[in-house]
Amino acid sequence: MFQTDSIVALSTPPGRSGIGVIRISGPDAIDILRQLTDSPTFNPEPNLLTLKKIVNPFSGEILDQALVCFFKGPHSFTGEDVLELHCHGSPIVLRAVIDVVLKLNARLANPGEFSLRAVANGRMQLTEAEAIRDLIDAQTEQAVRQATRQLEGEISQRLKPAKDMLVEIIVRLESSLEFVEDDLPAVEQDQIIEKLEDLRTDLTALAFTFSQGRLLHEGLTVALVGRPNVGKSSLFNMLLGHSRAIVTDIPGTTRDTISEPIDIDGVPIVLIDTAGIRGSTNEIETLGIDRTRQQAADADLIVAIFDGSMPLTDEDGIVLSEVETKRHVIAINKSDLETFSPNGLLDRPVSPKSCVESVTVSAKTSAGLDDLRAAILKPFDRGNSSPEGLLITNARHHDLLTRAIEELTSSERLVRERASEELTLVGLHNALKFLGQITGETTTEEMLGQIFSTFCIGK
Amino acid sequence: MIFDEQFDVVVIGGGHAGCEAASAAARLGATTALLTLNLDLIGQMSCNPAIGGIGKGHLVREIDALGGIMGRVIDRTGIQFRLLNRSRGPAVQAPRAQADRALYRVEMRRTLEATPNLSLRQGLVTELIVTNDRICGVELQDTRRIAARTVVVATGTFLNGRIHTGRNSYGGGRAGEPPSTELAATLKRLGFPVGRLKTGTPPRLDRRTIDWDAFDPQPPDEQPVPFSFSTDEILQKQLNCYIGYTNETLHETIRKNLHESPLYSGAIKGIGPRYCPSIEDKIVKFPTKDRHQLFIEPEGHSTNEVYLNGFSTSLPAQLQQELVSLIRGFEEAQIIRPGYAIEYDFVDPRELTPFLETTRISGLFLAGQINGTTGYEEAACQGLLAGINAALSALGRAPFRLDRRESYIGVLVDDLIRNGVDEPYRMFTSRSEYRLALRHDNADERLETYGRDLGLVGDEDWNRFNQRRRRLAFAKSLLETRLTRSDSRYESARMLVGQDLSDSITLRQLALRPHADAESIMRLLPDAERSQITIGDLQTALADGLYSGYLIAQEATLRRLNQHDTLKIPPQFSYSGLASLSREMIERLERVRPGSFGQARQIPGMTPAALSNLLVHLVA
Repeated sequence: MFQTDSIVALSTPPGRSGIGVIRISGPDAIDILRQLTDSPTFNPEPNLLTLKKIVNPFSGEILDQALVCFFKGPHSFTGEDVLELHCHGSPIVLRAVIDVVLKLNARLANPGEFSLRAVANGRMQLTEAEAIRDLIDAQTEQAVRQATRQLEGEISQRLKPAKDMLVEIIVRLESSLEFVEDDLPAVEQDQIIEKLEDLRTDLTALAFTFSQGRLLHEGLTVALVGRPNVGKSSLFNMLLGHSRAIVTDIPGTTRDTISEPIDIDGVPIVLIDTAGIRGSTNEIETLGIDRTRQQAADADLIVAIFDGSMPLTDEDGIVLSEVETKRHVIAINKSDLETFSPNGLLDRPVSPKSCVESVTVSAKTSAGLDDLRAAILKPFDRGNSSPEGLLITNARHHDLLTRAIEELTSSERLVRERASEELTLVGLHNALKFLGQITGETTTEEMLGQIFSTFCIGK
Repeated sequence: MIFDEQFDVVVIGGGHAGCEAASAAARLGATTALLTLNLDLIGQMSCNPAIGGIGKGHLVREIDALGGIMGRVIDRTGIQFRLLNRSRGPAVQAPRAQADRALYRVEMRRTLEATPNLSLRQGLVTELIVTNDRICGVELQDTRRIAARTVVVATGTFLNGRIHTGRNSYGGGRAGEPPSTELAATLKRLGFPVGRLKTGTPPRLDRRTIDWDAFDPQPPDEQPVPFSFSTDEILQKQLNCYIGYTNETLHETIRKNLHESPLYSGAIKGIGPRYCPSIEDKIVKFPTKDRHQLFIEPEGHSTNEVYLNGFSTSLPAQLQQELVSLIRGFEEAQIIRPGYAIEYDFVDPRELTPFLETTRISGLFLAGQINGTTGYEEAACQGLLAGINAALSALGRAPFRLDRRESYIGVLVDDLIRNGVDEPYRMFTSRSEYRLALRHDNADERLETYGRDLGLVGDEDWNRFNQRRRRLAFAKSLLETRLTRSDSRYESARMLVGQDLSDSITLRQLALRPHADAESIMRLLPDAERSQITIGDLQTALADGLYSGYLIAQEATLRRLNQHDTLKIPPQFSYSGLASLSREMIERLERVRPGSFGQARQIPGMTPAALSNLLVHLVA
C-alpha cells in the first residue's frame, strides 16, 4: 500500500443513466460512509448492497437514497477500502454528493488513478490494465478520448497567459528579495495587487466556463428566440408539459424572459422563453429585447423559431442573422396549418458549424416534439466517454483551478497587508504548482532565467 | 610503489573549498595534507573581497553550525558588515561583509596552521595515482609522490585556466599565477566529462586617485551581525563602501569597442554566470538602461587598493583605463590591476554522489568551482562536505550527507548532482522550496547537532549552543506573557503600536502589530527576565512563531503535490518503453538518470502526462 489519501470519482457516464455510481478508495472510505449515512457506528458488512439515505453531514440535508456497498481492503478493486454509492443518475444529485465527499477528506481522483492503485497494490497486472485501456487512455498524450485530450490541450493554451502573468509577478517579487542591493525599480505594491486581481478574475472565469460544470450546476441553457408571435411561448409550454408563460394573440406580450428547468432524457435543461426580437420604441419591450439578446448570447443552444405558415419577414431575417454564429436548432412551427410550407428554411444552406438541425413542429398538436427534443440534445451527445472521463477531467481541472485561486487570494491579502515578500511568495508558488499540474511544471531554472533576462543583475 | 609521504586525506588546492576540506578532515582525526601552488595565497579571494549576501550568507552560517571555519575567519577580518533585507522577514535576511583581503588570507592560514593533524605543503599536483579505479595518491611536478586514502580536488579556476584581456590571452589560474594543465589532462584521461566555464573580475583602483565626494557612502551596520555563532562581537574598525554609476558616454564607448572584448569576438567559449555579467554584457543586454550601479569597495585599512564592483570586464587594459576615467569621480583614477576574464575546466557534477565522491574513482572527491559553482561560499560548503566525507571514508566511518529540506548546502549539492550545470551555479534562496524554514539565524538549530556528532563542534561551541537553546526556550515562554489592562506595561504597549489592544494580549500577538519589533518587545520585558536573553534570541523566537503556521500549511500542500516523490527509480530503468515521452525527453531522462520520482518531476519539460505514465510503470 503506497498511498495514504482517499480519492473519489464518478464511475458511470454522466447524464444518460438511471444510476450513477460514485466510488471512493482509501483509508477514509469507512468514515465517509458513516458520515454520509449519519451512522457513526455503522459497521458495514463487506460486499453487501444496502439501501441507505445519503445526507450532507454539514447541513443535514438529504441528498439521495442510494444502494451502498463497502469493500474491505485488500479484497477490493484497488486493494484499499472501497466504498461504492449507487445513487440516482441525476447529475445534480451526483455532483452534490461528490462535493460533500470532497469535504470529508477525499480528493478527486486523477484520470485512471483507481486503476493505478489497483496495479500498485498488485490487484491488477500492468498488462491487464493496458488491455483494459482505461489506464493508458487516461494517462498518455495519445489519449483516445479525443474530448479529454482536446480539453487538456485547450486548457493549457487558455491558461498560458495566466501562468505567464503569475510567473511575472513571482519574478518581480523574487528579484526584489534576492537582489536587494541591485538597482532594480521599486516594487509597486498597488501594481502587484492589480495584477493579482486580474489574474484571479481570469482564473475564476475559466473555472466557471467548464461547460460540464455549468451543465451540472445550472443545467444546459436553451433559449427560444424568434420574432413576435411565431409561437415561442406555446412551444415553451409544449416542451414544459404544462402552461406557464402568458400566451395571447397580441404580439409583444411576453415582455420578460421566463426560464424553467426541464429534463430531457436525464439531462437537466433550463429553458428560456424570450421576448420577441424586433425593432421597438416601447421602453419595456426594448429592455426585454436587450435581455433576449443577452440570453441568446449566453445560452448553450438557441432554438430559433419561425412561423412556417407564412413567408419569411424582415424580422425573421434579423433573427437568422443573429443566430448564424451561435449553436442553434431551427424550429419551423405551425405545421398543423394548411398554409404551412417550410421550404426556404429547410432548404436554406445550413451552416454546419452552427446549425444543428432543422425540425418542423406544431405547438398546437405536439407534432415533432420528439424530433425537437432530440435535436436539442444532439450537440451534447458525449458518445462513449470513458468511465472516469470527461466529468472528472473537468472537475479535476476545476479543483486545481479553485485551489490556485485560493492561494492567490491569500497572497493578495498579504500584499495588501504589506507583509514581507517571502510570505506572499509561498501562496504564489503554490498557485503556480497547482496550475502546473494541468500545464506542466515551471522549474526554478526557468524562473531564474526569466529573472535574469528581465533585470540587469550584477554585483 | 614508492611514496615520499603518506596521509589519510590529501586536499589539492588552498582556496575556499580546499581550506574547509583540509580543516574539517584534520579535525575529524585524519592525517591531512593541504597541497597548494603557493602557500602565501592560501584563502585568497579571487575577485570580490566579500563574504555573504542573500543565499550565500545562509551558506556561511550553515558552514559555521556544522563546525566549518569560514564564518570565524570573516568575523575577524570583515571591515563592513551589513545585514541585508532588514526591512523584510527574517527568512530572507542574511549577513554580508566586505573583507580586508590580505587579512583574510593571513587569518585563514593562521587558522590552518593551528589545526592539529594538518600539514601544509607547497607543490603543483600533476597526476592522480589510481589503481583499480581507486585513488591511492598524487604526484607533484617536482616528482614527489604522496600517498593518500582519499583525495579532495578543490582546484577552483586553475584547471586549464586561460586568462583573457582584450585580444591577449595566456594560461593562468588567476592573475599572476600559473594554471594547472597536467591535472586537467589527467581528469580527462580518467574519463571525466569536462566542460568549460568562464568568470570575470573588475579592475582595482588606487584610492588616492579617487574623488570620494562624488560618490554616495554606504555605511556599515551600527550593530554588525556576525557570521559565526561563536562570535560575540566584531572588533575590527569598520569602514564605508561607496556607490557610483556608469553613464551613456561610457556605454557608447564600450559599444564602439565591443570587437575588442574576447567574449564578443568569440575568443571565449566558456559560459559565464548570468548574475555576474561583465560591464560589456550589461550594456549589450540592457541597452535601454542609461546607468548601471557600481560599488566602490576599499580592500582594507592598510592598502590603497579599491575594488570596483559591477565593472567586471575583459576589454583591453588601456581601454579599461580610458573607460574608468569616464565615470564621475574617477576622472583622475588610476588602475592598479586591470580586470580580466578567465576560462577554466569543470567536471560535470552529475559524476558525484551526495557525498561529493566521484562514482568513477572511489576515494576521489571534488569540491568547489571544479563542480561548476561560482562563489567562495558555494565552494566552501562543498569543501566542508567533501573534507568530512574524505576523512570519514579514510577512517572507515559511515559517510555524511545533507538533505535539501534542512539546509541550503543540501539544496546546492542536490541541484548539482541531479541537474548538472549549464552556467556557473550560485545559491539563491528561491532555489529552496523550504525557504521559510531555512533561516540564517536558525542554522545552528538545524545543523549544530550534526557537527557535534561528527566531532567537528568542540565543547566550547557545543556548550554555547546549548545555552542558546535554553535561552531560546525561555524567550519563547516569555513571548506568551499576557499583558492585561491592569498591567503597568499595557499603556506602553498600546502607545508603541498606536492601536487599541484587546483586554489581554500576549507579547507574541503584540509583535504582529506595527512598530512592534524585537527591540521594543525587549523593552517591555521585566528587567530580571530581559537580562537572561539576548536580542538575537528574541528575534529567533519571534521568527519561529511568525513562520510556524506557514510551514505547517506548506508541508501539507507540498506533501499533497509531491506525494510520490520518494518512489525510487531503478538504475537500469528504461524510459524508451514509455509511450508518452518525446524522444528528446527520453534522451534527457537517460542522461540525468533521476533516482526518484521526485527528481524526475523536477526535470524541465516533464509534462503531467509523462509523469503519470512514469508513475504507472514505477508502481507496476
